[in-house]
Amino acid sequence: MGCAASLPDRNSGTLSGLNSSENAVPSDAKNLRVKLVLLGDSGVGKSCIVLRFVRGQFDATSKVTVGASFLSQTIALQDSTTVKFEIWDTAGQERYSALAPLYYRGAGVAVIVYDITSPESFKKAQYWVKELQKHGSPDIVMALVGNKADLHEKREVATEDGMELAEKNGMFFIETSAKTADNINQLFEEIGKRLPRPPSS
Amino acid sequence: MTSSSPSSSDTEFADPDTISEPLQSQLESMNLSGGVTNGSLREEPPSPTSSGYDGGGASEDEIREASVDADTASQHEAAWLPGKRHVHEDDASISWRKRKKHFFILSNSGKPIYSRYGDEHKLAGFSATLQAIISFVENGGDRVNLVKAGIHQVVFLVKGPIYLVCISCTDETYDFLRGQLDLLYGQMILILTKSIDRCFEKNAKFDMTPLLGGTDAVFSSLVHSFSWNPATFLHAYTCLPLQYALRQAAGTILQDICASGVLFSLLMCRHKVISLAGAQKASLHPDDLLLFSNFVMSSESFRTSESFSPICLPRYNPQAFLHAYVHFFDDDTYVMLLTTRSDAFYHLKDCRIRIEAVLLKSNILGMVQRSIAEGGMRVEDLPIDRRQKPSSTNNQGQDTAVGTGGPFGLWHFIYRSIYLDQYVSSEFSPPVTSHRQQKSLYRAYQKLYASMHEKGLGPHKTQYRRDENYTLLCWVTPDFELYAAFDPLADKAMAIKMCNQVCQRVKDVENEVFLQGASPFSW
Repeated sequence: MGCAASLPDRNSGTLSGLNSSENAVPSDAKNLRVKLVLLGDSGVGKSCIVLRFVRGQFDATSKVTVGASFLSQTIALQDSTTVKFEIWDTAGQERYSALAPLYYRGAGVAVIVYDITSPESFKKAQYWVKELQKHGSPDIVMALVGNKADLHEKREVATEDGMELAEKNGMFFIETSAKTADNINQLFEEIGKRLPRPPSS
Repeated sequence: MTSSSPSSSDTEFADPDTISEPLQSQLESMNLSGGVTNGSLREEPPSPTSSGYDGGGASEDEIREASVDADTASQHEAAWLPGKRHVHEDDASISWRKRKKHFFILSNSGKPIYSRYGDEHKLAGFSATLQAIISFVENGGDRVNLVKAGIHQVVFLVKGPIYLVCISCTDETYDFLRGQLDLLYGQMILILTKSIDRCFEKNAKFDMTPLLGGTDAVFSSLVHSFSWNPATFLHAYTCLPLQYALRQAAGTILQDICASGVLFSLLMCRHKVISLAGAQKASLHPDDLLLFSNFVMSSESFRTSESFSPICLPRYNPQAFLHAYVHFFDDDTYVMLLTTRSDAFYHLKDCRIRIEAVLLKSNILGMVQRSIAEGGMRVEDLPIDRRQKPSSTNNQGQDTAVGTGGPFGLWHFIYRSIYLDQYVSSEFSPPVTSHRQQKSLYRAYQKLYASMHEKGLGPHKTQYRRDENYTLLCWVTPDFELYAAFDPLADKAMAIKMCNQVCQRVKDVENEVFLQGASPFSW
């Protein structure tokens, strides 16, 4: 994180993060609204997961995310609750890692993604788990996602390793494929179920 | 705007005879002579590796250019393919050695940071050699700016711990190659800020390549623009032609938004400005605009969804990041909002919604698409003044037959308004149609520009030169600069008349082709 010091938000304790609470409809028991941040090494497929979830699309040509992209999607759960996800898809590039607090501060959900064919990206996922435990909000819902599950013949990170990391840190674990859409909706539904419900009046 | 001179005679060329015609020798003598080092390397071949650097006559980028030649003029800027090509090459490859124009960025310890062709990591030895040349001269208390070796020029630029080098046999002038290195450096600063210098203070062997991960397309797009975008040498920007009232409507909402605490708001169509506004006393340099729009246009992810990203404007403040909100309304039209506040995303998103409402209400997006389809000014549309018959027997030029450009052999022009920091250029018309021909014309303009702005010898007011490819006319006043290219057989008196007509025509349509009044550059 060579140029971390140059980023204006580092060490600034007053930073409020990116929260839209002032001007938006607040969550109620039946209509939840939650800020979700995706973190992980570059090239693990964060944007692909989001685009599969939000638009049902998959584009194999790699488009490097710059800074962070913002998308939102609403889903209905079986108990007829709706959940509106406000998704921050962050860039995995090293130069942006100092900026991550801006996106995960105030987030209700953090999805940490790695690529099952890349042990390096799994290491990076462990880094993000630690980082969030130190600096994320205490009641944050965390999910660990092993993406590119369709490339099982190239697998280098065992499912058990992912499960173990998730269990140790109280995270929800799933392996997905943005390419085949496997487990993408399940990921977000499962997150929706785990969200703390505001007390109903 | 530019026509502050009260007398109409000011906008007429003087009698043709007073134009300084034989400037060729002057031009040649000034080419590349400026800024050459006094050090011992002046005439020495660079011999960067043991086997030297092969001159070769191969095309700069044969595969791309071959396919581009068939393209029409209006598509010339779309011809660029994202990403780096020829990554498999290194300095041992013959193909790599034959490339006409190389760009390198390296650190002062010789570590490669960027190379236009080939894999940076494989070029470590080559980078170390470049670094050795620079530090050898620096150790002697001097600075190496240019090394000439046969048809090659090696141009050096030192920016603190960052070294930039261009090796070229494209016959461009030293000043322009250096200007291109400056822009390349600016593009890097836009991504990382100048505080990157501190990383080298802490650790001289710092490897910067991971910090630039995923930005190959940004740099290769910039390098490509050196051959098609006049903004890279005019240091001015250009607007999309649009009805005055529509541009005003867009400008008004952008100004409102700047009044709400946004530093700069820009509405763009590809690399052209639709309108822009800045907070009070904030001024945006045309080079920053060029680098920022290049960054956005070459990064595909901006098109997928709205984005919020730190960027630095090197001319505005090279030390600090700003935060940029970018949103594409369609494939071509996008808004860029800049702020100093890292938590302003939702405010900027609201601003974008307000802008979008205005665009929809005035159907600006539809009119933008129409303007793209219609194109800009055309030399064929210039009126022919029938009272002015050429006295010579050269009748070829006065007919406006299809395929021979505009009246009297006018092929192309660029008009730059000094006061507005903007330029307008004509669309390319036959016979200047292929990317290769356009590139060659731009290079001819660059030489003309260089000779008009040469320190010590200039400033010149007019220049007329003819070679086997073009007749070029340049006219510089305190208000504007005009660069015009004619058929090499064009009649000189008629060419001068045409230049006057071009200026008149630009004045007639200035409200459509320029952004008036709101320019923050003049504050």
